[in-house]
Amino acid sequence: MSIRTPLARVRGLGAAKDGTHHWWLQRVTAVILIPLTLWFVISLLAISHADYATFQQWLSNPIRAGLMATLLVATFYHASLGMQVIYEDYVRPEGAKVAALLVTQFVLFVLGAISVIAVLKVALGG
Amino acid sequence: MSNAYQLIEHNYDVIVVGAGGAGLRATFGMAQKGLKTACLTKVFPTRSHTVAAQGGMSAALGNMGQDLWQWHMYDTVKGSDWLGDQDAIEYMCREAMPAVIELEHYGVPFSRTEEGKIYQRPFGGMTTNYGEGTAQRTCAAADRTGHAILHTLYQQALRHDAEFFIEYFALDLIMDDSGTCRGVVAWDLAEGTLHLFRAHQTVLATGGYGRAYFSATSAHTCTGDGNGMVLRAGLPLQDMEFTQFHPTGIYGSGCLMTEGCRGEGGYLTNSNGDRFMERYAPNAKDLASRDVVSRSMTIEIREGRGVGEHKDHIYLHLEHLGADVINERLPGIAETARIFAGVDVTKEPAPVLPTVHYNMGGIPTNYHGEVVILKDGNPDSVVPGLMAIGEAACVSVHGANRLGSNSLLDIVVFGRAAANRCAASIKPNSAHPATPKAAVDKILARFDGLRNAKGENPTASLRMRMQRTMQNHAAVFRTGESMAEGIQLLEEVHAGFDHIGVSDRSLVWNSDLVETLELDNLLGCAMVSIKSAINRPESRGAHAREDYPDRNDEGWMKHTLAWLGPKSEVTIDYRPVHTYTLTNEVDYIPPKKRTY
Amino acid sequence: MAQFNLPPNSIIGKGKTYYAGAGAKNVRRFQIYRWDPDSGENPRMDSYELDLAACGPMILDALLKIKNEIDPTLTFRRSCREGVCGSCAMNIDGTNTLACTKAIEDVSGEVKIYPLPHMAVVKDLVPDLTHFYAQYASIKPWLQSATPPPERERLQSKEDRAKLDGLYECILCACCSTSCPSYWWNGERYLGPSILLQAYRWIVDSRDEFTGERLDDLEDPFRLYRCHTIMNCTKTCPKGLNPAKAIAEIKKLMVERR
Repeated sequence: MSIRTPLARVRGLGAAKDGTHHWWLQRVTAVILIPLTLWFVISLLAISHADYATFQQWLSNPIRAGLMATLLVATFYHASLGMQVIYEDYVRPEGAKVAALLVTQFVLFVLGAISVIAVLKVALGG
Repeated sequence: MSNAYQLIEHNYDVIVVGAGGAGLRATFGMAQKGLKTACLTKVFPTRSHTVAAQGGMSAALGNMGQDLWQWHMYDTVKGSDWLGDQDAIEYMCREAMPAVIELEHYGVPFSRTEEGKIYQRPFGGMTTNYGEGTAQRTCAAADRTGHAILHTLYQQALRHDAEFFIEYFALDLIMDDSGTCRGVVAWDLAEGTLHLFRAHQTVLATGGYGRAYFSATSAHTCTGDGNGMVLRAGLPLQDMEFTQFHPTGIYGSGCLMTEGCRGEGGYLTNSNGDRFMERYAPNAKDLASRDVVSRSMTIEIREGRGVGEHKDHIYLHLEHLGADVINERLPGIAETARIFAGVDVTKEPAPVLPTVHYNMGGIPTNYHGEVVILKDGNPDSVVPGLMAIGEAACVSVHGANRLGSNSLLDIVVFGRAAANRCAASIKPNSAHPATPKAAVDKILARFDGLRNAKGENPTASLRMRMQRTMQNHAAVFRTGESMAEGIQLLEEVHAGFDHIGVSDRSLVWNSDLVETLELDNLLGCAMVSIKSAINRPESRGAHAREDYPDRNDEGWMKHTLAWLGPKSEVTIDYRPVHTYTLTNEVDYIPPKKRTY
Repeated sequence: MAQFNLPPNSIIGKGKTYYAGAGAKNVRRFQIYRWDPDSGENPRMDSYELDLAACGPMILDALLKIKNEIDPTLTFRRSCREGVCGSCAMNIDGTNTLACTKAIEDVSGEVKIYPLPHMAVVKDLVPDLTHFYAQYASIKPWLQSATPPPERERLQSKEDRAKLDGLYECILCACCSTSCPSYWWNGERYLGPSILLQAYRWIVDSRDEFTGERLDDLEDPFRLYRCHTIMNCTKTCPKGLNPAKAIAEIKKLMVERR
C-alpha cells in the first residue's frame, strides 16, 4: 500500500511529452484509407473476373502496385495504432498490457511486411 | 468527557474559518507572508455562497467616465443611512481600485470595454458628484462576478500552496480565562474525527445567516456559524436588526436576479404597468438603494397593485434591452429565470419579490479585522486572538443598509487587511500556551449531547418554525406588536431546541447532526436579530418600523451590541458610530435626510 | 479490463420502502441509493413515495422533503439550490446533472437517484472528489505571466475575452468527468473533460504567457489522449458547456505547434 498525497498521485511520473504524433497519424491513416479503400473495392470489382496473368499484368503497373502497397501499410499501421489505444484503455495489469502490445504490433508488422512483399512479388515477377 | 472523543491536535499561526471570498483572500494573503495558515471550511471552497454573487464589485476606476473614491465613500455612507463607520468606509473605498486591479492581475475574467479595460456597470445607490448623476462603478464579469472572483481566489490559494481542511465543521471557539481566543475545535465529516486547532489568531469568515428566514437568496449553508460561535463564547454581535431584503429575488424559489438587471436598464412595474420607482425615488428611480426599493415594492403590493394571480409580487422588465445585451451582460439570470420562473426574459417580464439577501450585522470589528467589544467602558476593546471578515463581520462599512457591489469589495479588501494585520502582529512558529481543558471539554459535551439527542422535535420542524416566524415578524416593515409576537414564538422554538431529536448517530458525514448544529447557530442569530430590532425605536436603512417611521440621529445613531444568554435572554448595549474619517484627506460626512 | 460486474461488497440490495400517506394527490416514487459506512452492509436502494402536490418542482426539493419529513439520515451535498455552486451533482434517471436544476416533471415514472458514477462513495449520495480536486490543482489553474503586470488592469480585447465564454462558467460539478467512460476506466491518469476544459480556459486566456508549458504538461497519452470523443461530457453538462469542443481545440493546438 502506498501513502502519497493526492497531488503526488495525479502528477505521477510527469507528462510523457508524447502522444500527439500517435493521434495525428491515426487520423492521417484514417483519412488516406478512405480513397485507398474505395479504389481497392472498385478495382477488385473491375478485375474480379480476371485470371492470374491478367491480374499480374494489372498489378505490375507501378501506380497500382504503389497504391496497393500503401493501402496495406496504412491498414496494418492504422490497426496497430488502434489496437494500442484499446490496450491502453482496457488491459491491466501493466505487464499484460505491454505483452499484448508487443505481440499485436509484431504480428501486424509481420503481416504488413508479408503483404507488401507479396504485392512486390506479383508486380515485379511473373 | 474528552476521553470519549479522541482529539487530533494541530498547531498553526493562523486559522481561517470559512473559504468564501474573504476567507480565501485572507488565507493566501497570510500564506504569502510566511505564516503557517490553515483554512477550515465546511464545504469545498468554490461551493461557498460567494460563488452565487452576480452583479459585480465596486471601485472608482473611472473606466466609463470620471469617478472618485470620495464619491464612492459618500454613496456608501449615505447607503448605510449614517450607521457606517466612516474611517472603515474610507479605507474600503480607497483600497477598492488596488483590490480590483489585483484581482484582474490574478486572472479574473472581467467583462471588457471596447478599449480593453474592465467593464463597469451602474448599480443601486452609486452616483457621481455626491448624488448628481449615475455612476458606472461596478466592475463586472457578465453577471457571474462572484463565480469569477471566488474561483480566481481559490486558484490563487492553490498557487500559494495554502493548506485547507475541507468539509471540516467548526464547532466552537476555544476561549481562555483571560478572554483570549486560542483556536477552534472542528469535526472532520469525511473521517468522523474531532480536531483541536491551536492558533495565535482565529479569523472568522463564515458568512451570513439568511437561512434564519423562510425565503432567502442565501444558500442552505448560510447558517451564521461564526456568529453562533461568538455568541456562545459570551461575546456580542453588532447591528443584528439590519437584514437586507434584495428587491429582485425570483417569486417562489427566491433565487437572485442581480441588481445589474436594473443597472443595465431594467425596471420594475406594478399591476397597472407603472414604473412606480419614479414616484418613490425621483432621482435614482429603480437604482435607488436596496432598502428603498424593497420598501417601495412592499407598499405597492400592500396597496393592491401587485401582479400575478394572488397580486403578491412585482414584474421586472428586461425585454427592451434586447437579446444581444442580455446574452452578453446578463446570461446567468436569463438562465435562472428560465429554469425557476419558466420565463424568457428577452420576451416577458420576470416575477420578483423582496427576498432576504444579506446581513449587515455580525461580529463587531475594526478596519483591521480585529474583533472589538465594549469592555470596561472601552467600545474598541480588541478581543485578543480573534478576527472576523466578510459578511460575518460588522466593521461597519455597510451600516444599516449595504449598497450592491460593496460586498464583493468588502470581502477582498478586509480579507487582505486581516492578512496584513496578522503578518504585522504574529511571529511565525511561535509557541502556543497550554489549551484550557475545561473549555475544550465543554465544547465536546455540547457536541456529544446534540449527537445523541433523543427529543421529540426533529431539526427540520424547529427550523421551519423559526424561519416562518422570522419571515412573518421581522420582515421589510416591522411593528413593535408584530415583533413581540415573533419573539414569543421564537422563544418557544428555543425551548423546543432543548428537546431536539437527531436520527443519525454516525460521526461520518452526519448531515442530520450538521443541520442541528447549524440550527443552534441560526437560532442564536434569529433571537439576537429580532430582540435588537424591537429594541430600536426608529427607522434606519433596512430596519423600517411602521410605529417609528423616522430616523432619530440624536438618540439612535449608534451601533447595537447584543449578547445571548443560555436561556435565550438578550442583553443589549451600544457602541458609538465612528464620527471621524481615516485620514484628513476627506472630512466626516455629517448626517442628512436620505432621499433618492 | 472494464468492469462488467460489481465487486461483492458493492452489489446493491433492496432497502426500505416509505409510502405516502392517504390523501396524497400526486404520488411519485423515488428510488435512492443508500450506503452507511458505519454498518458494514452492502449498499441498498430505498424507495420513497412523495406527494408532488406538496413538494417543490426540483429533484433537490424532493430530496429535502424526504430528509426533512421522512428520513433525516439521507445524506447528500447541497448549497446554493440555484445551479451555480455544483454541490448537488448526482446521477438522476441515468444522467449526471444538478439536482437543483433538474425538474421532477422532466423525469417520467420512478425517479432513480444514484451518486456520480464510478466514484468512491463516502455515504449515500456523497462521492469522494479528492482525486478530482487534485487533478484540478495539477494543471496550475492560475494566471501565469513572466511580464510584470502593469499599474492598472491588463488590457484584454472584447474578442479575446469572448474566447473565455463557455469556459470560465464551469462550476467544477464533475458531472462531465464522471460521465466519461475513459475517466471511469483510466481516471487515475486521464484528467477528464472538466479539468481539460479548465486547462483550455487558461491556454486560451490572452493574458497568460505560459501556453507552451501548459500544452507540454498535457502532452501525454493518458492525461489528454484518453479522450476518444465519446461526447458524454457535452451531453450531460448541466450548464450547457462543451468540454468535448475544448478538448478538440487543445488537440488542434498540439498538432499546430509541431
